[in-house]
Amino acid sequence: MNFKSWAPLGAVALAIASMTGAHAADKSVAVTAIVEHPALDAVRDGVQAALKAEGFEAGKNLKWQYQSAQGNTGTAAQIARKFVGDKPDAIVAIATPSAQAVVASTKNVPVVFSAVTDPVVAKLVPSWEASKTNVTGVSDLLALDKQMDLVKQVVPNAKRVGMVYNPGEANSVVVVKELQKLLPTLGMTLVEAAAPRSVDVSSAARSLIGKVDVIYTSTDNNVVSAYEALVKVGQDAKIPLVASDTDSVKRGAVAAYGINYRDLGEQTGRMVARILKGEAPGAIKPEVSTKMELFVNPGAAEKQGTKLTEALVKSAAQVVQ
Amino acid sequence: MSLFSLLGAVEIGLIFALVALGVYISFRLLRFPDLTVDGSFPLGGAVCAVLISTGTNPWIATLAATAAGALAGMVTGWLNVKLKIMDLLASILMMIALYSVNLRIMGGPNIPLINDPTIFNMLQPESMEDYVFRPLLLLVIVIAAKLLLDWFFATERGLAIRATGSNARMARAQGVNTGGMILLGMAVSNGLVGLAGAMFVQTQGGSDISMGIGTIVIGLAAVIVGESILPSRKIIWATLAVVIGAIVYRFFIAAALNSDFIGLKAQDLNLVTAVLVTIALVIPQLKRKLSRKP
Amino acid sequence: MLSAQNLELTFNPGTPIETRALRGLSLEIPDGQFVTVIGSNGAGKSTFLNAVSGDQSVDKGSIHIADEDMTRRPVWDRAHRVARVFQDPMAGTCEDLSIEENMALAHCRGTSRGLSLAVKNEHRALYRERLATLGLGLENRLTDRIGLLSGGQRQAVSLLMAALQPSRILLLDEHTAALDPRTADFVLQLTARIVNESKLTTMMVTHSMRQALDVGERTVMLHQGQVVLDVSGEERSKMDVTDLLHMFEKVRGEKLADDALLLG
Repeated sequence: MNFKSWAPLGAVALAIASMTGAHAADKSVAVTAIVEHPALDAVRDGVQAALKAEGFEAGKNLKWQYQSAQGNTGTAAQIARKFVGDKPDAIVAIATPSAQAVVASTKNVPVVFSAVTDPVVAKLVPSWEASKTNVTGVSDLLALDKQMDLVKQVVPNAKRVGMVYNPGEANSVVVVKELQKLLPTLGMTLVEAAAPRSVDVSSAARSLIGKVDVIYTSTDNNVVSAYEALVKVGQDAKIPLVASDTDSVKRGAVAAYGINYRDLGEQTGRMVARILKGEAPGAIKPEVSTKMELFVNPGAAEKQGTKLTEALVKSAAQVVQ
Repeated sequence: MSLFSLLGAVEIGLIFALVALGVYISFRLLRFPDLTVDGSFPLGGAVCAVLISTGTNPWIATLAATAAGALAGMVTGWLNVKLKIMDLLASILMMIALYSVNLRIMGGPNIPLINDPTIFNMLQPESMEDYVFRPLLLLVIVIAAKLLLDWFFATERGLAIRATGSNARMARAQGVNTGGMILLGMAVSNGLVGLAGAMFVQTQGGSDISMGIGTIVIGLAAVIVGESILPSRKIIWATLAVVIGAIVYRFFIAAALNSDFIGLKAQDLNLVTAVLVTIALVIPQLKRKLSRKP
Repeated sequence: MLSAQNLELTFNPGTPIETRALRGLSLEIPDGQFVTVIGSNGAGKSTFLNAVSGDQSVDKGSIHIADEDMTRRPVWDRAHRVARVFQDPMAGTCEDLSIEENMALAHCRGTSRGLSLAVKNEHRALYRERLATLGLGLENRLTDRIGLLSGGQRQAVSLLMAALQPSRILLLDEHTAALDPRTADFVLQLTARIVNESKLTTMMVTHSMRQALDVGERTVMLHQGQVVLDVSGEERSKMDVTDLLHMFEKVRGEKLADDALLLG
């Protein structure tokens, strides 16, 4: 039996030798996201910008590190372990799988989650009150009744609302379950279409043709990445599209009353700054994103068979041509 | 790398060592390329998480997860043996089907297990930190599994399974019901993977529908890295090899995570891991070449 | 022991490449008899052997081995009554397993396999003893992978494996054809010795007329899926290849044109 194992042992030695020096005076923040994605990247950039505004600048008096789990939960777990071992002053975990991996790894290091729709269902915090644990954060939960208000303004006689979503994404499932409860009270019904992969978005949308008056989508990763496919169906079948994020309006949705993820990041960053300045995370109530914007696209409305009222267009923060 | 990170790599390495043992059985012993593991790993996790979150004893939940994995393996085997569907295809069909099954079992894409009882926190002694105890308990479990497998494949039944993979025609001529042996082998293999899934959700905070993606790749990488470190046809060395391979593979990932000091960034993680694994596979060949020179 | 009645088997029926391999073949082999089976290519000898072993199922007819009806049973379900040595030395052994593991596999043939150790200490002595009779030094290499052995050595071990369990009939499928002449001779001698010692009922398919007459006590010739010649006893012991040829021509009214059969 021969041990031909110098390379792996060498790599292990290399890893152990890569002990980074500790700078006692500087604060350190470790950030992780489950995957790279425009919205999640915007959150990260917002966190960094807000920290800078509060006096913590990466490279000067703040040690900043970022790791993406490349979509793999095993890697997310290893990143969580690594971060906890580095003993930063705060860990920022973006999106539910990363947040869960971090929260499961430590009960001491302060954890700030971001872009998690329902942190209570995800068991990151026991309730929406200050948790008294080491966890707090900012949720991107949308007030669904306001979302449905917008839907009715875009398509006044809408009775059947279609929803394309990834049944494998926690945030989307939360929205679907809420809509299933909310819509009947408004005299409407929800028709679901599942798209487990982004390539399934097109066929899911097509399955809704003839069964819905409008298609509403959340900030589902699959849908957002394949939004053009949805737009094509909307135009071909004359079904108006209402989105939850403002970028999608530029890509062809009729309207969206959404969160700006960069702002969400900045809101998160301000919370992190409070922790760096000494507040306990358990004393900070989890927040919901506060800044909402209405975007409309009259051109898309026409192509999809509806017309926007003047009042709606006037109230929009941005009108996309 | 901090101790925490190191032990974290060992912990996850041990979990995937169970997967590697399962993949070794299907891929090497049965010569059955089995992608079911991408579905049976999260299946084990889902069953375990659902049971624990609804109040079942974690030990029973873990056992149920193992049984669920075994059942999934048997269905794949049945598709191949009875319905005569090609092995690789049968396993792909199961992998696809299990995605929906897992979503159904969980009732959603995600079940968190943050403050719930697990076999780890149930057994943990006061004096030890959890990040030290978890790898320790996992080590015990992995060693037990390895020894059990070493014994099993030395028995008459186990030998029949190995013969089925090595030369099915000859095995039949010796009275071995090769169809039945495939079912048994696949059950054992995927049972181990289901067990690994249960271990994963109890240590990593919950089950998620995406946790299975790439399991077969990790399993195969562990088997191949292990075999290049410790080449041997004997079962007792081969099982040890794949366990070592799994842990070493996770070390590579940990090393890659810690290579920001060389200027590598987060996006380079997969590339760095691939490079390190390639080096590990090539060095033994180089050593053999060098040792032949006069 | 073996009773094959009116076996019929057609490959690719109803297509342009339809081949009627067995056309009403019947053969009875009593206990302990050593029969050699010859025939030109396409005569149906391999097909017949495969029908007896279970690798091939027949369209019509029946096969009884030791009074058990085996006609519809799969290979592994007949293995307690049938032992087989393949033509390809690679096909008859598991190359990844060791010599003793291969023998243990054969030893379990016909019994239900449980969770006791496959290679038992008490059996090792038996395996060593049997291997020693080969005179090849294999008794000292029990734990070597059988893939390391030469073709001839593997065939020799296969023969030992076939004789390990008291199965009822031994099927030999041109088992020396893939070996060089010297090794083939060695294996043939071994065959005769083992069959004699264990009084095994044996059916040996061979491509060589000379071999067919040299070994065993009865020779059967197949042609176009039927038995056309059946010689044994005194008549057979006086025959040589040319006699066999003339007999064949008389029976079928045609000359035999297969070179390999004549010259082998």
